[in-house]
Amino acid sequence: MGKEECKTMLDALNKVTACYRHLVIALGSTSDSQNLREELKRTRKKAQELAVANRTKLTSLLKDKTISKEDRAEYERLWVLFSSSMDLLEVDMKRSLEIGQEFPLKVPTRHLIQTGMTGSTTTVAARAMSVQNMKYEADSNVDTADLRDLRSEITQVSQMMEEMEMKVQVAPWAVEAKQEAGAELKSNMSVGNSSVGVISICEEEPKEEDGAGGRDTGFATICAVAGFVIIVFVAVVLGYLVINMS
Amino acid sequence: MTINTLAKGGWHRDQMACFRKMEKVIVAMQDPDMGMKMRNQRLLITVIPHAMTGRDVINWLMQKYNMCEEEALHLGGMLVRYGYIYPLKEPRSLVLRADESPYRFQTPYFWTSTRWPATELDYAIYLAKKNIRKQGELMEYEKERYSVLHKRINHTWDFVVMQAREQLRASKQRRKADRIVLECQEQAYWLINRPPVSLTLSTFRIYFIAHFVCVCVCVCTFCLCLQIEFCRRALGRNRVKSSICLEGFVKYSEQYLSHDPIMQGCLPSNPWISDDTAHWTMNTEVVPIPSRLRVERWSFSFMELLNDAMGRREFMTYLEKEFSAENLCFWQACEDIRHGENSRIVEKVEEVYKNFLAPGAARWVNIDSKTMDKTLKGIQHPHRFVMDDAQMHIYFLMKKDSFPRYLKSDLYKNMLAKAIVPQEVKKSVFPFMRRQRHSSPSPAQAVAQASEEEGRA
Repeated sequence: MGKEECKTMLDALNKVTACYRHLVIALGSTSDSQNLREELKRTRKKAQELAVANRTKLTSLLKDKTISKEDRAEYERLWVLFSSSMDLLEVDMKRSLEIGQEFPLKVPTRHLIQTGMTGSTTTVAARAMSVQNMKYEADSNVDTADLRDLRSEITQVSQMMEEMEMKVQVAPWAVEAKQEAGAELKSNMSVGNSSVGVISICEEEPKEEDGAGGRDTGFATICAVAGFVIIVFVAVVLGYLVINMS
Repeated sequence: MTINTLAKGGWHRDQMACFRKMEKVIVAMQDPDMGMKMRNQRLLITVIPHAMTGRDVINWLMQKYNMCEEEALHLGGMLVRYGYIYPLKEPRSLVLRADESPYRFQTPYFWTSTRWPATELDYAIYLAKKNIRKQGELMEYEKERYSVLHKRINHTWDFVVMQAREQLRASKQRRKADRIVLECQEQAYWLINRPPVSLTLSTFRIYFIAHFVCVCVCVCTFCLCLQIEFCRRALGRNRVKSSICLEGFVKYSEQYLSHDPIMQGCLPSNPWISDDTAHWTMNTEVVPIPSRLRVERWSFSFMELLNDAMGRREFMTYLEKEFSAENLCFWQACEDIRHGENSRIVEKVEEVYKNFLAPGAARWVNIDSKTMDKTLKGIQHPHRFVMDDAQMHIYFLMKKDSFPRYLKSDLYKNMLAKAIVPQEVKKSVFPFMRRQRHSSPSPAQAVAQASEEEGRA
């Protein structure tokens, strides 16, 4: 069925978008390297292929006038998912161009930001490409040709999105999401119990701050009540004067 | 599709200069030789490199830019406040401490950028991720914002959930140290772009709101009392129907039509066009022979007569004949008090009393007893408007009694006959010296022509 195909393709696009964002975050930092740039290039090519495929499929489904109302609502929902994904992808591509230009790799004195991330991003890219291992080419034009390609790809994506808006008449605000608030907690995957929470030092501790406020509450109550009484008294006096003015 | 015009528009915006400068400072700190001294951060099992103390930062700034400690503290504080450096021990307190507290650099993606401001969609994805990681244990303000966002961008909520899950799965692919750093980075970014509400407010909030409500209520009651008074007074006022108002207005316009220089043109000629000041010289205050239009105007209303100096004089002459000139003199004296100098009010009131109001005065005016009593009482404490009632009484007396008789009198009729109608200056022979009565075709003429044609047809 068209719907299932669509959903699988959208899931794939979603995965690639998430991985691409993860890779862009590492740009400019100490985990940046030629490999990372190549991974970015491959991931976004894959993202574009998926995007084109999704777009053709969804456009053909939405243009079909013989579908039922529920089907149409479902396709519109998928359409909104698709366009949100594309929005994120476009922004990330533009940002990767900007950061890539700011932090070129092939210069003698390169100052990458020491962010504390030193591991490689190979596994993330492999996940995006759905392969076991990534193979890299010894490409040396990472600063010039790659960025040029990136620019042209960004224009392609922007054009595609404009075309999409023109051709398909979907009101995004009319779509109702299927997931309610807190739906992500009900998933059955093990992402929730990440072991990071045990040793991470940068977690905040909110419980400490609540105790200090208790002592001051008594004084505050007295002040508040006194102020209230004064204001009421003043208002009554003023009202009395006004009514007696005539 | 989200209404994400910000992201699209960012392509054309520029990064603010202050941020570009801060970025340069940060990049300069990365120099392997002259840059910041890096230490290692030791957690329970993992060791994460690239940490620095606050003291290191300040020393480096002082050395590199040759500034004093205070300035370095300030600059360092800005770097922390705008998210280029984030604290590791107390992530919520975004200040630079000049001691051993650890800091780390933020990755360029999460730098403050005017080109790429933080969007609601991103924040929603972050909150969803945090929700999953902490099994629903978000902070109060985060929970509120979560529900607000859920309502606001409800149409993309599926995407938010999907993306949050995928991003967490992607980050699971990294090793532990990197995952910790990623989390800290993202948390620092959102602490700056979506700062939490103040913590102490929760205890005082109730009292604050109660105070505010009370003040509002009191102010409202006061305003309402005033409004009631105002409405009560307004009910008692006279009202005139608009049809009657408009009739009066139409009558006025018809009456004054021939006197209007714009509608009717002025005789002998319009000084502004013909540069001939005859019109003005003929209509000065005191003229041996007034123009006809002027004399006609005296008959329109009593006020017109009194406002014209010549008219007043003529009227005074008439009243002297009738032996009621004291009325006009009294009225003039009262006008003088009303519009005169403040310092002379007392002496003027004294004079008026002596001449007009005192029993057995030389020019005693006839006022009814009630007004007289009120005026006499007011004279004890004289002020500008103390004679108002008496003056009004005399005014209406003259208006009802003397004025109609004056209009019917010989004096007025002679005046009218004597009044001149200046000749219209003819158009000059020479075409270059055209003197026109009308600067442009008057609308009255057009109307007159139209009505003539209608009459003929």
